[in-house]
Amino acid sequence: MDAALEIDGIVTRFGAQRVHDGVSFSVRRGEVVALIGGSGTGKSVLLKEIIGLVRPAAGTIRLLGSDVWRSSPEELNALRRRFGMLFQDGALFSSLTVAENIAVPFRENTDLPMDLIAPLVGFKLALVGLAADTGLKMPAQLSGGMRKRVALARALALEPEILFLDEPTSGLDPVGARAFDRLVRVLADSLGLTVFIVTHDLDTLLSIIERAIVLAGGRVIADGSVDALGKSADPWIQEYFSARAPLAGA
Amino acid sequence: MSLTGGWIEHKVEEGASVLYLTGAWRLAHLAAIADALGSLRLRLQERFILDGSRLTALDTAAGFTLFRYLAGLGCSESMVSTRGFGPHHRQLLGLVHENMRCPPASAHSEHLGLVQRVGAGVIALAGLLRTHNAFLGAVALDTLGLARRPGRLRVRETVSQFEAVGLDAIPIVALVTFLIGVVFAYLLGVQARRYGANIFVVDGVGLAVCRELSPLLAAVIVAGRSGAAFTAQLGTMKVQEEVDAISTLGLSPIHVLVIPRLVAIVVALPLLAFVGDVAGIAGGMLVGAWQLGITPGAFIDRLHATLPVDYLIVGLAKTPVFAAVIALIACRMGLLVARDARSVGVNTTSTVVQSIVWVIVLDAVFAVLFQYLGI
Repeated sequence: MDAALEIDGIVTRFGAQRVHDGVSFSVRRGEVVALIGGSGTGKSVLLKEIIGLVRPAAGTIRLLGSDVWRSSPEELNALRRRFGMLFQDGALFSSLTVAENIAVPFRENTDLPMDLIAPLVGFKLALVGLAADTGLKMPAQLSGGMRKRVALARALALEPEILFLDEPTSGLDPVGARAFDRLVRVLADSLGLTVFIVTHDLDTLLSIIERAIVLAGGRVIADGSVDALGKSADPWIQEYFSARAPLAGA
Repeated sequence: MSLTGGWIEHKVEEGASVLYLTGAWRLAHLAAIADALGSLRLRLQERFILDGSRLTALDTAAGFTLFRYLAGLGCSESMVSTRGFGPHHRQLLGLVHENMRCPPASAHSEHLGLVQRVGAGVIALAGLLRTHNAFLGAVALDTLGLARRPGRLRVRETVSQFEAVGLDAIPIVALVTFLIGVVFAYLLGVQARRYGANIFVVDGVGLAVCRELSPLLAAVIVAGRSGAAFTAQLGTMKVQEEVDAISTLGLSPIHVLVIPRLVAIVVALPLLAFVGDVAGIAGGMLVGAWQLGITPGAFIDRLHATLPVDYLIVGLAKTPVFAAVIALIACRMGLLVARDARSVGVNTTSTVVQSIVWVIVLDAVFAVLFQYLGI
């Protein structure tokens, strides 16, 4: 299988601070992968570099076969239609209703008539497990979990090939977080999506990911299945896994 | 077989309608696919078979459109069967089918009619005025507590607000009142010169600037500058739950946020109005010297003789009231912000409109009141 995402030798500097110092990894199509690491290890920055919002100082990022930072603005926009991004707090447009939020990608990027868009929006709401009357609400009226689901519906609107999730379960209770994870897994399986998750909270994700990439000190220090990582000799990884051991044992 | 642009082919095989789906059934081609389905002109039949053997791609949007079309024909679940789909496509169709029981969501905001808009507006206004009252009471109580223990005033915050509201506004207030003084003296001078009554321009400029124009203009500028800033600041704090954090720490948001702003603006506005008085008279003086042959010395003499200090005081005495109204409205609207970006904008606009309207209404009340009192 070909790679959906290839990252090679990424270097990022903020002033004198070196956030990434040669980060390289790749993600195959159809994989569900988590990028983990402590706070401040530059996970979110890396994600922004992948989706073309922040330019790295050096290195190449190939997303779905095209080089993100050597593409023209038109090519980058065409590429942006092929992936979905779920921001940490949903980033719903607060002046639009939920249904209008989900309709935005359809309206801006397709020439579908409104009488085709409205049923599609209802379907996307159902797909992420929300009742149709949620569509009439404003984002301010929703709970954190519902906001994430709406944001997921918006991210899935244009049938992306790869889905980026930034801290998908932060701010959700464990039950809500697990339900959200299951939803992502089901969607990934049935839609054949590649899912790239950035998180510091691996606990709830263990069941849905196939592989974890660990970022620390500006480099990838481990890359493998969760079981393999648990046996790693690296002190940070050991501490990370032992920190959650009592929970897992309970 | 019907003309369907190659997306779908309809054949009857052994009493069943077989639909051969062809090509890439993706969102990008959805409009064409929907047209193709529409041009099939199928009638409801006993059995439908969907054949996926010629599909190259399928996504949820296209799958949903197909199922919706079949449901629109009146097909029930048992009448449709599938064959020849790849495992991925079958799984995807299963997912789509599970989520089919959804009414279409309207992707438009509801638009209210005129009567509903007026009604909703009246109800919102009544609610706003009622909460204004409650807020006024809370601020009054807090101010009373402060009068008993003045040491509790947050001096640092008050001084920093005073700088933003007062000192930083001096240039703009001076400029605007200076220009108004120029315009007023010029227009008055054009009339007065016809009767050789040039010197009376001094009376007119002094009276108008000190009593009405400078206090009013200073208040309007402060409402637009600082009122809007107060609402936006408090509103953003509300959005980021800073106001809740203040309450949780056992502090009163009114004491911490509202009182310093109220005090700062009540002190600053009379001073700004005084700056405006000086600038407005300077503007009049410039026109007098330039156009009307009144030397600055003669202008000041005449001003001394004809402008009673009462007028200056009356003008300045109005401004603390204007200031309090502006501060109360601005802080109230800021604390009323809901947790979204749009509401900050709406409330900021509302602050500026409300405070300017109230300043002008109060000015009219003062004008009538002072006439009664003979000032």
